[in-house]
Amino acid sequence: MSAFFRWAHRLFDLGLLRSASLLVPAGQRTEWLREWRGELWHVQQACSADGGHSWQAERQVMAFCAGAFPDALCFWRAGRPQRPAGAAMDGSARQCLLILGALAAAGYGLALLLPGVCAERSLWQRKVNPNLVLIEHAGSDSSQHPTIAPGQFRSWERRKQQYFDGFAFYRVERQPVEPEFQPASANPEANTWRVAHASPNLFTLLGLPVRLTDPDPVDLEADASGDVPQVILSETAWKREFGADARIAGATIRLGARQVKIAGVAPDGSLALPGGVDVWVLDPEAVRAPGVGYVVAHLTALGKEEMWTTCVHITANAPNDGEDDLLAIALDARKPGPETLFLFAGFLALLALPAITTVSLGEASVNPHRTSWLKRLHRWSFLSAKIALLVPTIYFVSLDLAYGCTLIAPEQAAYLQLLSTFSGCLFGLRWVLKDQRQRCPVCMRTVTHPAQVGVASRTFLDWNGTEMMCMGGHTLLHVPSLPTSWFSAQRWLYLDTSWNFLFAGSTPPAP
Amino acid sequence: MAREAKQPDTKLSHTAALILQALDAGFVYGFSIMEMTGLPSGTVYPAMRRLERDDLIRSQWEKQSIADAEQRPPRKYYRLTAAGKSTLEASRKRYPLLVRLIPTEEAKQV
Repeated sequence: MSAFFRWAHRLFDLGLLRSASLLVPAGQRTEWLREWRGELWHVQQACSADGGHSWQAERQVMAFCAGAFPDALCFWRAGRPQRPAGAAMDGSARQCLLILGALAAAGYGLALLLPGVCAERSLWQRKVNPNLVLIEHAGSDSSQHPTIAPGQFRSWERRKQQYFDGFAFYRVERQPVEPEFQPASANPEANTWRVAHASPNLFTLLGLPVRLTDPDPVDLEADASGDVPQVILSETAWKREFGADARIAGATIRLGARQVKIAGVAPDGSLALPGGVDVWVLDPEAVRAPGVGYVVAHLTALGKEEMWTTCVHITANAPNDGEDDLLAIALDARKPGPETLFLFAGFLALLALPAITTVSLGEASVNPHRTSWLKRLHRWSFLSAKIALLVPTIYFVSLDLAYGCTLIAPEQAAYLQLLSTFSGCLFGLRWVLKDQRQRCPVCMRTVTHPAQVGVASRTFLDWNGTEMMCMGGHTLLHVPSLPTSWFSAQRWLYLDTSWNFLFAGSTPPAP
Repeated sequence: MAREAKQPDTKLSHTAALILQALDAGFVYGFSIMEMTGLPSGTVYPAMRRLERDDLIRSQWEKQSIADAEQRPPRKYYRLTAAGKSTLEASRKRYPLLVRLIPTEEAKQV
């Protein structure tokens, strides 16, 4: 029976060695196993030298064999691909800046790829003409109602003007529309749109960008008298009726009794033109048809000087040689651009920042150690670089969020950008400051290994809070959990060279 | 792969210094070092790997004929290198009890 147990134990011991050998790289396994089996033989001889089989001896042999696992682990670790660069990067300033740079690049790349952002960007880059006014009769109670007759418009257009150098006219009426390209709604009432018949020069005068234009670019003003009239969809109608389909340019729709071709989409919100127009028809006959409409005029330099407020009274000659009392209302209702929104939201976030975190950088030191000006410069440069990378990251990510989806209305997109920018700036700056406070002033690596020191209820302790250490062995950071009059803010404890032995092998060079 | 030998002033852990001292005292294979120092196999062998990696010790297989003559498997013997001897000298100054724990005379008596 004893011989059987001895045989079973030896088999088990060999099994342990074999199992451990699996951790050793194949090229070194044979020699490693040979050494351990040789040693095992001697251990077995030594343990059984007292004579006979004993559990105590077998336990010693098994303990010896168990030691093969740490040894095999050494080989396994040595055989693993080394990551010295990665290890050196852990928590380093360079790693932080690389991540922020990658985020900014990803945000920018996404902004280049998302069609909604691309469309908005092209819109921002094309400025609407300044110095435009809407002219209406002074007696009108609301600028939403048309008041100017086409004859009056024609008389102004014919005469040489001192204050205006361009006029455009449009009138709005409801007309049935049948989208042949993509019937979107089965509701017959929904197929009645507000159609604006405008003088061909309207978009030229406005300088309003028309996006998603026909693949073959056309001159809207020159082509207005062509066989198939060109129409411009409003952005609202484009999204509502065609699901923001970018392939809509060039399609034809039936507008009333005639067929028209969609030339593009006019962005909403660029100018607050009254009328709630769904589709613009550039039609030379618009200024001859009966009814009243709206007149948009462009101010000369002299007219701009006279336009000292957003709404001024003007007097004009009427077609019957009388005088008309009119109002000129500035069409400067352009929505703020994304840069303006970003700056505004960023400013708000700066104001709100002290409410959620302390703006101190926690530079206080326990001992009278004073870092060199070069290191302080390095620290401030790192802080500036973080903020410089954070700002474009938030800007592009907020653009991606707000304008990435073309189905979001422009006003909602602006609110979304405002909100995302504010949140991003607020919490981003909070992170920047917190991260800065936890960076070793010597090597700029993040302090790690937090340890709780003391208990807050035991006030006899000098301080209680969290202690973190720089893995480079340069500093310890003490953060009080309960600020007191003698320990209110975090402090750095600079370690001298006598501490180096604790950090042997992990000490990165100080920059 | 070229290895950079440790400088004589390299600071060793107590375990590593103990193993160097045991080798210098004539305990030249793993099990004998275990017996002499009282350290477990899981400590001694990995430490010897590191010492060998740092060129402080060097290993050599016993000749098969000798092992065959004694009807046992061959052993792997370890010995100090020049760098190892210098490091051991420095360690003896750092750990004065090292020589008392493993006197080199003992090896001569065995």
